[in-house]
Amino acid sequence: MPTTRPPRFLLTVLLIVAVAGTAVLLWRDLRPGTGSQAPAAADAPPTRGGRLVVGLRSEPRSFNRHASASAFTDAFTHLTQARLARIHRQTQALEPMLAESWTVAPDGHHFTLQLRRDVRWSDGTPFTADDVVFSVETAFDPAVKSVIASSLRVEGQPWEVRAVDTHTVALAFAAPFGPGLRLLDLLPVLPKHRLEQARRDGTFAAAWSPATPPGEVVGLGPFQLARYEPGQRVVLSRNPHYWRTAPDGAALPYLDELVLEIATDPGTELLRLQTGQLDMLQQALRAEDVATLQPQIDSRALSIIELGVSTDPDAFVFNLRPAFWKADARAPWATSRALRQAISHAVNREQMANAVFLGEAVPVWGPVTPGNTRWFSASVPRYAPDPARARELLKSVGLEQRDDDPWLEDAGGRDARLTVLTFRGNTQLERELAFVREAAAAIGVALEPVPLESGALIERMLKGEFESLFFSYSTSDLDPALTRDFWLSSGSGHLWHMAQPTPATPWEAEIDRLMARQAATTDEAERVRLFAEAQRLLAEEVPVLYFVAPRLSMGVSQRVRQLSPSVLRPHLLWAADSLAVAP
Amino acid sequence: MLRRVALRVVLAAVLVWGAGSLAFVLTQLAPGDASMADTTPGAVDAREALRARLGLDDPLPVRYGRWMRAVAQGSLGHSVLFERPVSDVLRERIVNTAVLAVAALLLGSLLGLPLGVHAGTHPSGLVTRVIRVAAALFVSTPSLLMALVLVLLSARTGWLPVGGMTGSAVALGLLPLILDRLAHLAVPALALALPLAAMLVQTQSQAIADLPSVRVLDGARARGVSRRAAVWRHAWPLSLGTVLPVYGVLAGSLFGGAVAVEAVTAWPGLGRLMLDAVRARDAALLAGAAMSATALLAVVTQAIDAVAAWRDPRGGVRA
Repeated sequence: MPTTRPPRFLLTVLLIVAVAGTAVLLWRDLRPGTGSQAPAAADAPPTRGGRLVVGLRSEPRSFNRHASASAFTDAFTHLTQARLARIHRQTQALEPMLAESWTVAPDGHHFTLQLRRDVRWSDGTPFTADDVVFSVETAFDPAVKSVIASSLRVEGQPWEVRAVDTHTVALAFAAPFGPGLRLLDLLPVLPKHRLEQARRDGTFAAAWSPATPPGEVVGLGPFQLARYEPGQRVVLSRNPHYWRTAPDGAALPYLDELVLEIATDPGTELLRLQTGQLDMLQQALRAEDVATLQPQIDSRALSIIELGVSTDPDAFVFNLRPAFWKADARAPWATSRALRQAISHAVNREQMANAVFLGEAVPVWGPVTPGNTRWFSASVPRYAPDPARARELLKSVGLEQRDDDPWLEDAGGRDARLTVLTFRGNTQLERELAFVREAAAAIGVALEPVPLESGALIERMLKGEFESLFFSYSTSDLDPALTRDFWLSSGSGHLWHMAQPTPATPWEAEIDRLMARQAATTDEAERVRLFAEAQRLLAEEVPVLYFVAPRLSMGVSQRVRQLSPSVLRPHLLWAADSLAVAP
Repeated sequence: MLRRVALRVVLAAVLVWGAGSLAFVLTQLAPGDASMADTTPGAVDAREALRARLGLDDPLPVRYGRWMRAVAQGSLGHSVLFERPVSDVLRERIVNTAVLAVAALLLGSLLGLPLGVHAGTHPSGLVTRVIRVAAALFVSTPSLLMALVLVLLSARTGWLPVGGMTGSAVALGLLPLILDRLAHLAVPALALALPLAAMLVQTQSQAIADLPSVRVLDGARARGVSRRAAVWRHAWPLSLGTVLPVYGVLAGSLFGGAVAVEAVTAWPGLGRLMLDAVRARDAALLAGAAMSATALLAVVTQAIDAVAAWRDPRGGVRA
């Protein structure tokens, strides 16, 4: 039977492509570290112009900081809006922005702010004290339901604000407040001429949605919204009316465009950084990512920027609500300090840092890490790795070896066993928990992980329906007066026993007292002393265990100049007006 | 026949409504809600403000009723993720997924059909064995894995962009614009097309091998037609009766694969939108996307059935 001619041409082409591809791969892998892109001099003067492309993990939900607390909206606000004053992310000092100077009344809670003159919104409209008054009133307007209102209140009260003249504003807090004008860093100043109508109509929260025409999103920041391509990117262009200048008098920002490329999958985002499609990410790298990027680091296409020790250690929280344990016979030991201290003694933090973070982490014994240089206390109680001491502690609450299984039992024969809720799919958390679990097993305590989706876990946490949970969360601020939700027994962030009408324990009452005092004084040294005492108490009682805090690093293209890295978010974009790229 | 067509349309409509309702209700019943994806754990005030604004405090029947009203009005509800009507968001994404699906179908057909014909007309031989092994390998490779491999290959070689639908720079001129789009399309389209081509190779080769080939080919050759022309003009059209219905199955697997491929390659289509909606607990958006995908699938399946019926030498429309 005759045959048709085989598709030799196709096969030949495929063969050539395969051989060529293999050759190129081998050549790229085997050649010595000679990058195709020669690194430009890091100290070269910044060049005006160019485009910086940054990764973005989520779709923008809103361009309105009052409507959304998402990481995107926060970063977008940093890029397109300005504040009266901001916290310098490297020095943690307060520095003037739209308010060029201020005076504080002797009572410590009345302020007069002098605004910069000749400042214009990105649409060319002059900026005045009316915009400041509008911004403050909007934040506290009950109809707006601003997501930042609670962070701004002092003693639960809104600020009083008044325009003295076109460029002077009088501001008053309800009482003297430790952080003082550092609160201004939280409040973006908004254009009254653009948003007043929406507030009057009751549609403020929906204003500046992703559907809003870019020209209507007006700001005082270095960039303005140029376009939003759903599913792909948010493009920002230089604000032609930006008011800050470089020390040499050069107009800022240097960049023509800043592009936020949407890639919701972290793996894809990392690959795009590797291939040069992205200049930087907004998230810190995981330890294993650094190894992935090594070829690009060797060829100097990318450099690793060390940010310092993270201010957000992962937390192992124990449920101490009496109501939760009321009908549970395990309550005496499950809520005991001895159990928590025993687990803390069981975990070798140095080994954990090496095993889970490849050495890129430091041991911690409390929520304030060495990354928070201003408030970190090195004198909190520490729990050295000591399994024998751990077993002694467990014995003190009746947990002993009473049968043949590896677990300790209480007098009723119940195993020393707790469930641990954790985020599903967070590989780093899972590895940390596996390490802790192994350490706890070595002293006879069984920890059973229950991975949940983040929404489900948070819901269980808020309802107090958990035995323990191992999770990560972002600290909203470094100043203790602004994170009192966590420290105060009445706080909604008091994870182990939220929103108590009165403190359930003497040590919580003492922490409440210390935190109230440190928030009410403006004496910096006294505040540090009081907060160190609160940290000591928490580390003694350990309602939450902290093990290690990772050292944060970011991968950045060698073409990026003038970086001001910070452990605080947004790590590299907080001073975007001075970022530049090599031509 | 008209009655049969009408019945199919009604069934498809019920299916679309059912898929949307199920997606909406299940998302609402799952623990957590849209306010939790946007705030930190301790930010109770912020979360309550969001819940009030998004209407998440209302009972489920009220939320479902509100959504059904929006469906009836054509807006398909309000997306909390995009702060826009769901219909607007879907319109953009359906086009992107359609582009990807059509490209993958074309590519898969261009690869799979000729190789299948060759394998079917040459049951033995080295080339056929290579084709069969490759087809067996690709048909059992999920699109997700294929996408990961291709993305990794692109990253290592730098030949193609590893994600997105367009470059971040605005392409100046028509040709650069087209090249930019094609370069970004290549990886996701190939990831979907290769398993599809493998399935077509297997179906096509079997279909053509099952034909009474000697009579067909010999008859054609007796009339002076070349071997190749005999195969493609006479044997291949006869085999389509078996091959065309497979496209209905392929369309289904194409949408399934698109979810994974779009996520890996950051292609802004319907599949990635569904993933984003699940993550954000955006019930209206997920329901809208489920309805759109079901509707698209129903339309494609109906179209393929119609073509298959038209090609059926026995004539008439088969249900």
